[in-house]
Amino acid sequence: MIEVRNLHKRFGAVTAVEDVSFSAADGVVTGLLGPNGAGKTTTLRMLYTLIKPDRGSARIDGLDVAERPLEVRRAMGVLPDARGLYPRLTAREHARYAGELHGLSGATLDKRVDELIELLDMKDIANRRAEGFSQGERMKVSLARALVHSPRNVLLDEPTNGLDVMSTRAVRNLIWGLKERGHCILFSSHVMQEVAALCDRIVVVARGRVVADGTPGELRARTAKESLEEAFVSVIGSDQGLMQ
Amino acid sequence: MRRLIAIVFRKEVKDHLRDRRSVMGALAGPLIGPLVFTVMFTVMASWFREGKPLEVAVLGREHAPTLMAFLQRQGATLTDAPKDYEALIQAGKLDAVVIVPADYGEEFSAGRTATVQLVVDNSRNQARSTIRRLSTLLAGYSDMLGSQRLFARGVAPELATPVRVEEVDLATPERMAANVLNIIPIFLVFAAFMGGMNVAIDAMAGERERGSLEPLLLNPVERGALVVGKWLTTVVLACIAIAVCLAAFLLAVHRVPLQDLGVKARFDLMAVLGMLASVVPLAFFASAGQMLVSTYARSFKEAQTYIQLLLLLPMLPGMLLAVSPIQSQLWMYVIPVFGQQLLIGEVMRGQPVGALPFLLGALGCAGAAAFCLSVTTRLLGEERIIFGRS
Repeated sequence: MIEVRNLHKRFGAVTAVEDVSFSAADGVVTGLLGPNGAGKTTTLRMLYTLIKPDRGSARIDGLDVAERPLEVRRAMGVLPDARGLYPRLTAREHARYAGELHGLSGATLDKRVDELIELLDMKDIANRRAEGFSQGERMKVSLARALVHSPRNVLLDEPTNGLDVMSTRAVRNLIWGLKERGHCILFSSHVMQEVAALCDRIVVVARGRVVADGTPGELRARTAKESLEEAFVSVIGSDQGLMQ
Repeated sequence: MRRLIAIVFRKEVKDHLRDRRSVMGALAGPLIGPLVFTVMFTVMASWFREGKPLEVAVLGREHAPTLMAFLQRQGATLTDAPKDYEALIQAGKLDAVVIVPADYGEEFSAGRTATVQLVVDNSRNQARSTIRRLSTLLAGYSDMLGSQRLFARGVAPELATPVRVEEVDLATPERMAANVLNIIPIFLVFAAFMGGMNVAIDAMAGERERGSLEPLLLNPVERGALVVGKWLTTVVLACIAIAVCLAAFLLAVHRVPLQDLGVKARFDLMAVLGMLASVVPLAFFASAGQMLVSTYARSFKEAQTYIQLLLLLPMLPGMLLAVSPIQSQLWMYVIPVFGQQLLIGEVMRGQPVGALPFLLGALGCAGAAAFCLSVTTRLLGEERIIFGRS
């Protein structure tokens, strides 16, 4: 469960996030949709406690991100904007390291890592060093790292960026699987089709503000447009985001 | 907290043992000092073979019997110069040749200035001492005769010598060699900085550049635990470098003909332990300083540049000590780097030091390290550091 209230953040003269409020419920896939530079990544970074909001607040499962950052980080799994790997560690070692930092150890950790290797279909790369991994393989390792502690809340920043069709489908299946198990999933994307295919609920962000919030059906009804595409263009006031 | 530090430490050690650059930095880098040391000592020993008789090759001995007799009285061994003496001098086989021209006797008897030629190659350092000894002898002969001639004409010879230069040469082989011993502290300190360098750069600037810092900070771990875990890895590699450097110096000191040069250096077990006790705390500070620089630098390259500059810093006080030995005062031991170099120097020369300077040195380093680590931890909480600046 994620609740965001009036978040605001500026960097020097640039206001990255003006005023963002929304909530993401458990068992629901919530999409944060907006053109590049709308403030999606900054919003997510404030949620996962690496950036402190200037104003406003956010709660993860009732924990305030500013007051209890460690517990907040424990309560969520994040696929951040940066997905760097350690070139000299294997895929399995990456997952294990993250697990250990989350307090897992021994048989529990071994079992969980094996589960993830199965779930993300990474048997062939599990014991290979990360140097020279493809985009898709890197993504799998990053996801394993994010999910190793079985978090209730999952935050994904542009999870399908740079992936081929097969990998994109794998990520989608993973998200649906998480949803079925009642996780709260928040993911950001600038690709409308992506969000339309996955989300139960869409929060449209433009120029640092939430310009629309609702189910795909509600969005269409609100803007009185036939397709979601036109609804999106209508709320953000440009057709950026329809490309690709 | 301790568990998390151990996790970070284990991961970093595993990661860096697989990195050839890190391992080489700790194992091969520290060998430079002992190598330089061995070469310098061997060369110096060959330069200053004391009591070496002055051998003079002469062409035209028969033209100046008195001069020859004078040279022999002064302890020189005379030989006839071979035909190809010029080539031999250039090849370094012969130090100098004296040529006495055929008209020497005639000029000499007539009271005019007679000429003898001294054939040398001034670009060769090894011949320098022979050349100097020889020209001093020749000049001395000339002065002696000049004085005699003036005296014979009733003039006081002092009139012709308004100023007399007397050289007091302090560069005895012993002293030179003792100065060379001073490079040992410099290179031990150097090893403390060099050993963990690559790890420190990779642990912070590298982590950010390859985009793994953000995922790492997402884990529910205090920044301090991450910093300390990475720092400990750096310290361990720095300590390995120190051990390698010290072992190599030990080997070098036992192979080099120190006794020939009359140098007394203490390199027994106690001295080695003393040196370790003075340098190991420095590894704490060096690693922490490098972590701080690496965290602050904008990129991997920038971190490399800064840290390599930082590497020169410990050389400065060492150079100073090598050139002009300072009477150590108690407060000096607290200054990181400088204090350690003083300590090693004193241990090496076998001076009784006592426990206090060691304690002060360790405290100084620990304090500086703690400061650097706390600043690093604070920096890791700053957005511009986590996400990089442009």
